[in-house]
Amino acid sequence: MSTITLRRAEADSPPVPTGRPQAFRTATGGLIDRRRPLDFSFDGTRYAGFEGDTLASALLANGVRLVGRSFKYHRPRGILSAGSEEPNALVELRAGARREPNTRATVAELYEGLEARSQNRWPSLRYDALAVNALAAPIFAAGFYYKTFMWPAAFWEKLYEPMIRRAAGLGRAADAPDPDTYDRAHAFCDVLVIGGGPAGLSAALAAGRSGARVILVDEDHRLGGRLLAERREIGSRSGADWARETVAELASLPEVTILSRTTLFGVYDHGAYGAVERVSDHLAVPAAHAPRQRLWRITARRAVLAAGAIERPHVFGGNDRPGVMLAGAVRTYLNRFGVLPGQRVAIFTSGDDGWRTASDVAAAGGQVVAVIDARACVPPGLRRAAEALGARVIAGGYVSGTKGHLALKAIEVVDTYGSSETIACDCLAMANGWNPIVHLDSHLSRRPVWDAAIHAFVPGALPSGMVAVGAAGGRLTLAACLETGSRAGAEMAAACGFTAAPRDAPGTDPESTEHTPLWRVARSRGKAFVDFQNDVAASDVELAHREGFRAVEHLKRYTTLGMATDQGKTSNLAGLGIMAELTGQALPSVGTTVFRPPFTPVAIGAFAGHHRGKDFRATRQVPSRAWCAEQGAVFVETGLWLRPAYFPKAGEADWLESVNREVNTVRSHVGVCDVTTLGKIDIQGRDALAFIERVCANPFGTLPVGKARYAVLLREDGFVMDDGTVARMGETHFVMTASTANAAKVMQHLEFCHQWLWPDLDVQMVSVSEQWAQYAVAGPRARDTLRSIVDEGFDIGNEAFPFLACAEVTVGGGIPARLFRISFSGELAYELAVPAAYGDAAWRAIMQAGSTHGITAYGSEALSVMRIEKGHAAGAEINGQTTARDLGLGGMLAKKKDYVGRLMKERPALTDPDRPILVGFRPVDRGARLRAGAHFLAVGAAPSLAADEGVMTSVAYSPSLGHWIGLGLLRRGPERHGERVRAYDPVRGGDIEVEICSPVFVDPKEEKLRV
Amino acid sequence: MSDAVTTSASAPRSAGTPRSAWAPRSAWAGFAQAGRHGRPQGEAGVHLTLREGVGLATVIAADGQEASLGRILTDRLGWSLPEIGAAHLVGEQGLIWSGPGQWLAIAETRAGLHGLAQALHGVAAVTDQSDARALVRVSGPDARRALSKGVAIDLHPRAFRAGQVAITAIAHVGAQIWQRDEAPSYDLAVARSFAGSVWTWLSHACAEFGCAVNREPER
Repeated sequence: MSTITLRRAEADSPPVPTGRPQAFRTATGGLIDRRRPLDFSFDGTRYAGFEGDTLASALLANGVRLVGRSFKYHRPRGILSAGSEEPNALVELRAGARREPNTRATVAELYEGLEARSQNRWPSLRYDALAVNALAAPIFAAGFYYKTFMWPAAFWEKLYEPMIRRAAGLGRAADAPDPDTYDRAHAFCDVLVIGGGPAGLSAALAAGRSGARVILVDEDHRLGGRLLAERREIGSRSGADWARETVAELASLPEVTILSRTTLFGVYDHGAYGAVERVSDHLAVPAAHAPRQRLWRITARRAVLAAGAIERPHVFGGNDRPGVMLAGAVRTYLNRFGVLPGQRVAIFTSGDDGWRTASDVAAAGGQVVAVIDARACVPPGLRRAAEALGARVIAGGYVSGTKGHLALKAIEVVDTYGSSETIACDCLAMANGWNPIVHLDSHLSRRPVWDAAIHAFVPGALPSGMVAVGAAGGRLTLAACLETGSRAGAEMAAACGFTAAPRDAPGTDPESTEHTPLWRVARSRGKAFVDFQNDVAASDVELAHREGFRAVEHLKRYTTLGMATDQGKTSNLAGLGIMAELTGQALPSVGTTVFRPPFTPVAIGAFAGHHRGKDFRATRQVPSRAWCAEQGAVFVETGLWLRPAYFPKAGEADWLESVNREVNTVRSHVGVCDVTTLGKIDIQGRDALAFIERVCANPFGTLPVGKARYAVLLREDGFVMDDGTVARMGETHFVMTASTANAAKVMQHLEFCHQWLWPDLDVQMVSVSEQWAQYAVAGPRARDTLRSIVDEGFDIGNEAFPFLACAEVTVGGGIPARLFRISFSGELAYELAVPAAYGDAAWRAIMQAGSTHGITAYGSEALSVMRIEKGHAAGAEINGQTTARDLGLGGMLAKKKDYVGRLMKERPALTDPDRPILVGFRPVDRGARLRAGAHFLAVGAAPSLAADEGVMTSVAYSPSLGHWIGLGLLRRGPERHGERVRAYDPVRGGDIEVEICSPVFVDPKEEKLRV
Repeated sequence: MSDAVTTSASAPRSAGTPRSAWAPRSAWAGFAQAGRHGRPQGEAGVHLTLREGVGLATVIAADGQEASLGRILTDRLGWSLPEIGAAHLVGEQGLIWSGPGQWLAIAETRAGLHGLAQALHGVAAVTDQSDARALVRVSGPDARRALSKGVAIDLHPRAFRAGQVAITAIAHVGAQIWQRDEAPSYDLAVARSFAGSVWTWLSHACAEFGCAVNREPER
């Protein structure tokens, strides 16, 4: 059966309503709005939840335990956590173009009509055919694909990889373009507070009260962190109430910005932070004009890291069975969401903290069946309290295995004397200590350090300007969170110049964080998972150890431990703990891998923001754009510019026919081309001429006012940088043009030369590329056309305005303009520059004036054909590897002055007579087509690097000659006119004989220019 | 004040003033449309005013002439040379810092800067840039938030105020932005050829706030 049929079947079956709605919802309590019920569906079944639920809490409320299949073995998986660290409960959220795989059900806010599907199962979640992988588990152990699919090599790409990818999947991406928009924004603040739990709220309040600009970022939609999940007291009110009051005060401070639903995902140099705000992810569809998500780039003078901590699971056989959860998550579902994760709850802890779960379960109406503490010594108070609830207490024992197919039915427990028993339960809460979230502070390659007091890594040397507080700083008690947060907030504000003092933290109810971690239950039955998302078991760590992959970085790569989308948030430390045990080292000597951004996955769309599709990068439009678009011009991208390439006319079969017509019309009548894209630089000052002499390789000392000259610029290393023209508009006023591609580079080069080489020269320059629309009017009727454009009183005749003349004129009745008699086409030609706002009017006027002379508009294609016909070097020849001599321009270089590149161009390799030099080529068989990129070989020579004599750089079909022509760089080319060589083009299978000729194919005596 | 330049430079007022039948085309033409855009409900959070026909010129001090330039500007035009990062504007005309030893002169109309080159002859190079930029005034209660989507500088009143200018990038396009008043309103200048791309970005950035676009009345 194909997956296509399957999808259709899913789509056709209408959602089925369930029997008992929300059977696991407590009667009262929780921070949900019971007056606002919400409908949602999971795998096609309809359920109900409440506003304030996550998808995970709503599923648990309805008794749904099984939510996914694991990555490799397709084992049934449930919900482990209640936060962004979730490795198991990954679902495909939404449908169609908005379908998003790997969404953590624990952080997906419920909304009316939410639609989610389990992933990585076939044909259904309950009956997953690929669960047979679990039977073959031995071959899927760590490093299995390095070992199993080694041979034959060709099978990897064609067979093994596609097969593995199908089997080990993490959901399906949408197969239609994303219909939503994304936004980017920049924010600045004095103090950035990362995390809105008790520590973060205290910090933000202390800093905010001082008047400092504060940004408080929290990934949840409701601020309070663990205060929302625990039954705690702060200053004689509930923790949740304290959080609400604190948020209200923060919201009233004008310089405090609260960004909820926002994950701070990366820390970068110089106080820069990346965050993603889920603006609309809690809605079915974003509101009109609202983005789905917004990427924030925050620049902060100081930062308070109050990101909290993540609880550690226990590693024992069957610890991945749906119903086995983190103890803190169990309390979250009980207290925040009013959901009983199970009716009969057992607790497996290695510290005092886990015992807190017992009273919470009982308070919510659940039964605590057992508390198993791995420590032999348990504080008597905890024991008495649990026993009072009717719970079995097993100190010095452990859970060795679990029972149940798709959900937990019982646990196997071994007591301190080694005798085992089975205890029926439908939920097991694991408490194995907390890991401070050291991800963000290690983004700048700073390694966390081991804190023996809390048996966890804590931030080491922090990025400059950052301080870690509360649980993120290894201070796990609520009292410490309030105290360190408030103090840090005040200190950071003071460091920014504000007067701030920490206030006495309000009192809290007592708590104990005594804890002795248990890295694994060595004698357990069944697979004991370390990394749930990547299906890495304790046995895989043992295998890595046996096979010598003991260094942390090797362990990670060999087993893929910590490499899934959750980056090992719940798994890393257990893996390290087991490796420490196996190698007999202390855990801190094993070391730790470091974390990279992002903290949680960020949609690529958020990084792109507005800049996708056609808006990926900016485009530049020419002044004649409107007319060209009206005429159906075909545009081509030239760097950022969109230039008209050619203007197809009705009846023309292809681009070549259009281009040929444009060339023929220019050569016989007249044409106009938008050359605004050329760089234009205004150069003024007492020393302007001296400056131009130094940057240009050809002489300018004799250039009179009112004349323009071709200009060659060399780089410092003697190669040609660019070519253009310099026109002398006045005694100390020049205009230089540069090629489209090099416009910015030439401007930079000139500024560099002035600022660093000759700051003493009195020269002022500025780009005027955008000020002037510039049009080439070329062809025998160019003057006739321009006569009615240029105002009366300006003589543009051949005598008054000969070849290479330039002048300031007015056009269209008084509009200031510049006229240059320069030609790229080889025809009688002018370039007319008008202020860009008049570019549209000028273009239309020229077309109008030229209509009686047979004018055509021509694009960059015809422009290129004509320059090849004239043998003018352009980008393909001025490619950074050619000298003026290579381009046939050696003769025009100045002999009597100094200029940039003068000495370096004399290096032996650059004056080697064997260097390839520009010549023209035509096919011996005039019907043959030439290809740019072909290499030249002596006729009869076998193709080899040694036999290579040069390369064809530019080709065109010449309508003037009726066959293909080419320009190329050939060894000793100019000495070889008339010879034949092979143009060998193995890439496109071309191999023809060509004849070497002058690069000037049309009007070699340059008679047409000067008429 | 716009007369000051021409009269003090004693240049004929009509010199170069187009009496042409050729109509200038706005840099925003074909991209921006006047009217209400984006969120339709409530007051528009952002007002965009397309500025047309503004006179602009680059003024670059000649070598060692900055003091003389400042004196001449003060004596003849009543202008002062802005320090780094400052814009000295009286009404709609004055000077905006644009780089070391470089300023952008601005006047309400092209004609407003005629004669400036002559007045500053010998102390500064003056280059007409009236057509080189697309100008838009961004104002309204959400102006700062809208601009912050593309401008990587801090526009908070503690960091950037009326009379300040920045040369920066907006949505990856080079831009010069100066604050006009504390309302706040900002003038944004980008290279003319980028107007289409900048407009696409700007209208997208403003959409969620509701955006009113209008053209400046013809002068």
